[in-house]
Amino acid sequence: MTTDVSTREVVSDLRRQVEDASLQTADEIERFRVDFLGRKSGRITNLFKTVSTIPPDQRREFGQEVNALKQLAEARLEEAEALLAERTKVDQAQALDLTLPGRLAVEPGRLHPLTSTLDDIRRVFERCGFSVAEGPEIEDDWHNFTALNFPPDHPARDMQDTFFLEPPDSDRGGVVLRTHTSPVQIRVMKQNPPPIRVIVPGRVYRNESISYKSFCLFHQVEGLYVDKHVTFADLKHVLKVFARAIFGDDVRMRFRPSYFPFTEPSAEVDIWWQRPGQDGRWMEILGCGMVDPNVLTAVDVDPSVYSGYAFGMGVERIAMIRHGIDDIRMFYENDVRFLDQFDS
Amino acid sequence: MKISYNWLREYVSLAQSPAEVADMLTMSGLEVDDVVEATPIPASVVIGEVESVSRHPNADRLTVCKVDVGGDTPLQIVCGAPNVAGGQRVPVAMVGTTLELPDREDPSRRQPVTIRRSKIRGEESEGMICAEDELGLSDDHSGIMVLEADAPIGQPLADYLEARGGGSDATLDVAVTPNRPDAFSHIGVARDLAALIQQPLRIPGVDLPGGSGEAANQVRVEIDAPDGCHRYVAMVVRGVRIAESPAWLQRRLTAVGLRPRNNVVDVTNYVMYECGQPLHAFDYDEIAGSTIRVRFAEPGEEVTTLDSKKRALPDRTLLICDANRPVAIAGVMGGENSEVTESTTSVLIESAYFDPTTIRRTAKKLGLQTDASYRFERGVDSAGQLWAAARAAALIAEVAGGEIVEGAVDAHPVQPEPTIVSVRPDSIERILGVAIPGDDAVRLLEAIGFQVKRDGEVLRCEVPTFRPDVEREVDVIEEIARLHGYDSIPEPAVMRLPSTHIPRGRAIDLVRDRIRNVLRGAGYREVFTNSLVSRDTADRFLEPELSFMESGSVVPTLNPISQEMAALRPSLLPGILEVLEHNGNRGARQLRMFETGRVFRGGVSRETLVEGYHEEEALLLVCSGLRKESTWYQSEEELDFFDLKGVVEVLLSRLQLSDVRIEPVYESTSLTDYHVRISVGETLLGIAGRLQGEIAEAHDLDEGVYFAELSVDRIADRTALVDLHQYSAVSRHPSVERDLAFVLDARQEVGPVIDAVKEASKDLLRRVRPFDLYTGPGVPEGRKSVAFALVFGADRTLTDEEVDQRVRDVVATVRERFKADLRA
Repeated sequence: MTTDVSTREVVSDLRRQVEDASLQTADEIERFRVDFLGRKSGRITNLFKTVSTIPPDQRREFGQEVNALKQLAEARLEEAEALLAERTKVDQAQALDLTLPGRLAVEPGRLHPLTSTLDDIRRVFERCGFSVAEGPEIEDDWHNFTALNFPPDHPARDMQDTFFLEPPDSDRGGVVLRTHTSPVQIRVMKQNPPPIRVIVPGRVYRNESISYKSFCLFHQVEGLYVDKHVTFADLKHVLKVFARAIFGDDVRMRFRPSYFPFTEPSAEVDIWWQRPGQDGRWMEILGCGMVDPNVLTAVDVDPSVYSGYAFGMGVERIAMIRHGIDDIRMFYENDVRFLDQFDS
Repeated sequence: MKISYNWLREYVSLAQSPAEVADMLTMSGLEVDDVVEATPIPASVVIGEVESVSRHPNADRLTVCKVDVGGDTPLQIVCGAPNVAGGQRVPVAMVGTTLELPDREDPSRRQPVTIRRSKIRGEESEGMICAEDELGLSDDHSGIMVLEADAPIGQPLADYLEARGGGSDATLDVAVTPNRPDAFSHIGVARDLAALIQQPLRIPGVDLPGGSGEAANQVRVEIDAPDGCHRYVAMVVRGVRIAESPAWLQRRLTAVGLRPRNNVVDVTNYVMYECGQPLHAFDYDEIAGSTIRVRFAEPGEEVTTLDSKKRALPDRTLLICDANRPVAIAGVMGGENSEVTESTTSVLIESAYFDPTTIRRTAKKLGLQTDASYRFERGVDSAGQLWAAARAAALIAEVAGGEIVEGAVDAHPVQPEPTIVSVRPDSIERILGVAIPGDDAVRLLEAIGFQVKRDGEVLRCEVPTFRPDVEREVDVIEEIARLHGYDSIPEPAVMRLPSTHIPRGRAIDLVRDRIRNVLRGAGYREVFTNSLVSRDTADRFLEPELSFMESGSVVPTLNPISQEMAALRPSLLPGILEVLEHNGNRGARQLRMFETGRVFRGGVSRETLVEGYHEEEALLLVCSGLRKESTWYQSEEELDFFDLKGVVEVLLSRLQLSDVRIEPVYESTSLTDYHVRISVGETLLGIAGRLQGEIAEAHDLDEGVYFAELSVDRIADRTALVDLHQYSAVSRHPSVERDLAFVLDARQEVGPVIDAVKEASKDLLRRVRPFDLYTGPGVPEGRKSVAFALVFGADRTLTDEEVDQRVRDVVATVRERFKADLRA
């Protein structure tokens, strides 16, 4: 007797089902297990129960086929369970957590507070139609002092106040580290006829002992406007605009008479400034005045035709007032815990 | 300079408080830095008379006093002052008075103490006899304050002092600018105030001695150096009794920070602070030959000054001598040999005009600045000598007794010319931008001592002799402006702009902004470091091999603050290494910094703005430590040279430099283990390399410090940032990618291979990128495999045939040039 065709068809049909069953989820796997291998009514289990209905000479072959089918089902089950376990592990590891800090290509860098302050100052004056000029930090006596109407015995020409590279009694009256940016006024006026409307940022040097309020160098921004009909009223105007732009619209400011060799009349400008938790007080922010006729004459500009104003301010001072910094040395120590408080 | 508020009131009526006065002065050119107001003296401090003084039974240093304060019975007060004596009129703080007493450890601090009835070492005490410092009148704690003998017993001290122009004073600290020598005196400051509040200035009346009189018989004055001494006035007071000054005089001096000495010296100081004219008092009997000679010092001459110091006299020291010897350094300090002492009975008063420059040089060379030299070098009133001498003589006669010898010797070889300045009203408006009517200008000027004549529109102004700084029209305009008030000059409605102005940024500014943006984005922090370094550091970091600057020397300063700051930096590297060290020592592990700033060379031959010195703006960037810190998504990595090189390459490209060449140098220099040289054309822009390990170690840094130093100026000269950029069409056709791996000699640089790939694939190559470097199994010993990804493209669709041809060309070229094998 040959094996019952219908039984064979059942086996091969089951094999196809075992092979095709989807085993992606835990549910599908469990359903597969119960459906095919369940102890009570699994369809492969049930096949074993039909052995008695198979003719004895075919039982061996039938048994082998059913066994192979069972092994196939078990193998698929094992593989699917392993895959599922792996996927679960990965899922858990990669569980979406939106609170983790974001990924950075690189920790962000910073600009120095003096750069930011200088940029702010520069922008204000550029918007008011000033160009930018620069000059050397090593200067000769003529540009730094003589042309700026410093009398021969002025204390700034003393070795005590100024760094010299060549002594005052040398051929060209000494070479110094410039004590202010004003010599650039001279260089600009020597090279260009009026009208001149420039600001001059730059590093300047003073032979002073180093403390919380003074350093051996600092940065200035100089301003110069020379043209016909430039007046002290124009100077007040541009500086009020500046102070409001930098310190706020409601800033109070005052102009008080002062003295500089290279301006006449001269003034110093204060703003009323209040730091949190402190009393307000007048803080000097810059010096200014009308360019002294002697300075114009020194650069061959006729003071009876042209007049001009000039002003100069310390960048460190402006930054210290704005940020409440009380020690100028912080700018040059460059501690990252200081730097990281700015440009953020 | 210190100005006493009460003292000012002798010359001008003031209804304003000290703070208001300070504000007015500040706003008209005499900046008041500080106002120190004494605490008012409580009304329960009254005048008492010490009736008797007896020793304290239990304490050597204390006395038990009976003091009459106008009550029924005298008070018993225990006193510790050494100068207490019967018959004195003294201030007494009654029981219950609270005084701000100075802390004995730190007299600048005060704390409130209430006087109580108490037993001091067993003796009853019902009040306190006060010293000046205890009342806040001065810092004097040498003894109790002794009042005039007629001070009314029982009157509150404050009322008594107030009636005598004393009382609780305020000290104004005035920062006098160099153009205001007149303001180094109370009358000078009062003159400005009087002008501002439109009150008269009251100058004390003095009988000016006429002619020479008897004084000429008693003193001879010979001026051998008229260029140093323009005028010398001498007066004599005989029969003086040297003693302590009266309380009012002492109070005036202590209020301005001077220590009272004796009545004669105090008067000379008082008059100096009153009118600005320094005076000197000689002991007349010590002046040999009754002769004053003014001459310049002989070489090698010495003088022992009042402070008992023997001083060698510099060249052109002006000396005051008697018939035999120097008795004073003119305008600076008197001599010990002729000073006023307790035994002095006759006084010679010197009131002179010395040449400012002469005095300034002498004082500077001697390193001796005195109240007198300070005023002479700024220029005293050239017409004020006789008044000051007469004023001093009168006061000496008043406080020290004695008799003024009639007349004065007035040697006056150099007469000042009056200065007349013409001021046109339109000049005022041209400078200030506001019209000030002629009448107003005249009123303002006359109030501060100018004499103005109107000549049509023009004001002819005679400048007062105490204002040597005023010489030109603009100087007078400044005087008008400051009295008119700067705040009263209105601003114009519009801001004018020259039509020549083109609002375009300079290349250097565009370059700096671009550098900062790129480096900030790349995680670099900007720093500012000192341009001054030690000479030794400057020498060490002047490495010509690494610098874009032409060779030159270190630039030292002649007068450094310290040896640590004795030369200008030749490179930004030493400064930034200090910054790395500072932060590394404080735990920072990702160090990426940059700075832009000038670097310097001396002894250069090229043409520069200041001959012989060359300065150029440099950019330095440096990195060290970690590329990445460990976080939840990455583990820690140390950075290397290629981190730096990548940033430099991005930077150069963003700075729009074309034809940049980067050449390797494998040899070490004094600063680097290896570096690359970065050039455009023939111009070296700078270098990038690895710092020598020893230098890193010397700064407490791990090995592996990488830095680049480039010239910002040279970049600005060559950048295309200022140019208009021309766009090129974007190809719409697909590109073709091919990978090629070559096996090369292990020491073969990849750079030249990339260049060869580019060259051989001609215009079709869009990109080439090495994506794998490999040595190991499958690659022979001494060889390495380098794989390149090539991207081809054109403005049309490429055929396989074309691309294959280019790839064959590339393979052939690389094979031939580098003895390379194509890896299967």
